[in-house]
Amino acid sequence: MTTTRFPRITLWRVIVGSIFAAGLYATYARFALGFAQSTHLTDPQPWGLWVGLGTLCGVGLSAGGFAIAAAVYLLGFERYRPVLRASVLISFLGYSTVIAGMMYELGLPWRIWHPIVMWNRSSVLFEVSWCVMLYTTVLALEFSPALVEKIPWVRVRQFYLKWHHEILIGLVMAGTLLSSMHQSFLGGLYLITKGKLHPLWYSPYLTTEFYLSAIPAGLAVTIMALYLCVRSLNVRIDVSILSDVSRVMAPLLALWGLFRVVDLVTHDATPYLFMWREETLSFWLEIGLFVIAPVVLLSRDKVRNNPQYLYWTCALVVMGFMANRLNVSITGLQASAGVYYVPKWTEFAATLAVVTAAVMAFRYAVLYLDILPKNPPQKRWMVSSAAAEA
Amino acid sequence: METTKAILVDITKCIGCRSCEQACKEVHGFPMETEAKLSVTALTVIEERGDRFVRRMCMHCQDPACASACLVGALKKTAAGPVTYDASKCIGCRYCLVACPFSVPRYEWAKLVPYVKKCDMCAERQAKGQQPACVEACPTGASIVGSREEILEEAQRRILTDSKYVKHIYGSEEAGGTSVFFISDVPFEKLGFVAAPRQPLPTLTANALGDTPTVILMGGALLSGLYWITQRRAEVAMAEAQEKSAAAQAGPMDKERS
Repeated sequence: MTTTRFPRITLWRVIVGSIFAAGLYATYARFALGFAQSTHLTDPQPWGLWVGLGTLCGVGLSAGGFAIAAAVYLLGFERYRPVLRASVLISFLGYSTVIAGMMYELGLPWRIWHPIVMWNRSSVLFEVSWCVMLYTTVLALEFSPALVEKIPWVRVRQFYLKWHHEILIGLVMAGTLLSSMHQSFLGGLYLITKGKLHPLWYSPYLTTEFYLSAIPAGLAVTIMALYLCVRSLNVRIDVSILSDVSRVMAPLLALWGLFRVVDLVTHDATPYLFMWREETLSFWLEIGLFVIAPVVLLSRDKVRNNPQYLYWTCALVVMGFMANRLNVSITGLQASAGVYYVPKWTEFAATLAVVTAAVMAFRYAVLYLDILPKNPPQKRWMVSSAAAEA
Repeated sequence: METTKAILVDITKCIGCRSCEQACKEVHGFPMETEAKLSVTALTVIEERGDRFVRRMCMHCQDPACASACLVGALKKTAAGPVTYDASKCIGCRYCLVACPFSVPRYEWAKLVPYVKKCDMCAERQAKGQQPACVEACPTGASIVGSREEILEEAQRRILTDSKYVKHIYGSEEAGGTSVFFISDVPFEKLGFVAAPRQPLPTLTANALGDTPTVILMGGALLSGLYWITQRRAEVAMAEAQEKSAAAQAGPMDKERS
């Protein structure tokens, strides 16, 4: 006898359901009604949340994969190998959300393939689009064994894995190069806005700043995702790996802060640091969340060695990073645009739905593929009886 | 060789009759209502600034930021002067709107298949030997067209011979030089002209992009070097460990023998 049971209604299912419902409407609004109905974008503010959050943050926060892969394969930090596959998967899903987000962002998304055949080598965006295309392919290939392992035919499996083993180092090197290039070029996109972008963010070294900030931000996302896996997906990893990753993050954040300060001082932007204006507040929010708070917190053993404290510190880093990217792409351009842009709710809804889909994909991958080592499954009564005994 | 064309707008001669606006709309088949700002149906407009009339349009830069930004090369600076737009290539990324130092390009936000709209200096009309529609319609000669050299000389002559003019030709240096020039008797910043950077903007990104093949070669060499060192260290560590364990195995045996 088979019984079809209605899935249990839980708070999380309600939240995810509402996110997808809102995202569905946003998708309808974008493709059936157009930009004017689905966004608050205007000619003076042609790039909004979908670029600022979807693309700039999406790509930057997905930098963990290349950093961990390079650390393990090229620098020989074998310590991080247990989390390698998970970080590559996070990056791959991150880039997938960026590409899905592009479908909303582009005015003519069905022409997304144009840059493959129509070249303009002087365009930073052209280089970014190629790097993203190639790197997403690299990530898919790097991750592919996790899926191929599940193929029931031994010969196919062996053939693929042997072939994969031979090209792996090449893939990792290509991935490191491509990532380094496009993480910087995303900052390079704004080099051409000289005179429009506020002096607190415009710098000839935007490329370096974007590169330096992407690595700690990507690592922060990796730590957060791994912590959640340990907490709720029955994953068993040595949490001291997470505190070791955070040991690398703190100096990188400090370096970025130092670079930023030297850059501002040498470009005579110091007067803007203390003006009573919205830009200044946004700037200090960014510095506070991305540099000051995490560097102070991560310097304490108590924070580094407690996974929960570490998780929240990483959340600060991610928020600070997002503040930086949104400042460059929105706040910093507000004054010259002469308009005040507040995204329409459908802009948030579309991005949130795409990200939620990626988070769910990650969850199912961890549950059903061999991404991370898992604790042996325990029955509910075993847990409760063990607790009772104790 | 084809001569590069340019437009000169003499703000002192403009009477605000909006004939240029109307002619532009007629040529493009846009609705004829007057608009206050540049839009997808108004590629040139007259803005009133105090008692002056300031015409806005694409500046047709010599080295345009929009053309260097466009990832598919839909925007191009032609030898004849105009910066043209090939709608069939455009993917709608709107980087041109972000990049333009004069904030000129407009986007069809209300359409489901939206394109970029901007003045193309009537490139097709000019190719047929006609003047741009706006210039042809100007009754006072406030807008004139000619080869870029002639037009610059004329502007130079006017600001030098008549003391009422501000001693600057707007567009001669802005964004590295444009193909639309303005001369005025009121300082440009008071008329809403932006203080655009003096260098051609594409040079800012060209430096950062560098030479991609070189970057790939150098980076590849660096990473290969790192990988080699890592491998070598692992090999050495392995060999040392083997020696140690061999020695440890040999050790007790020696003791037994003695």
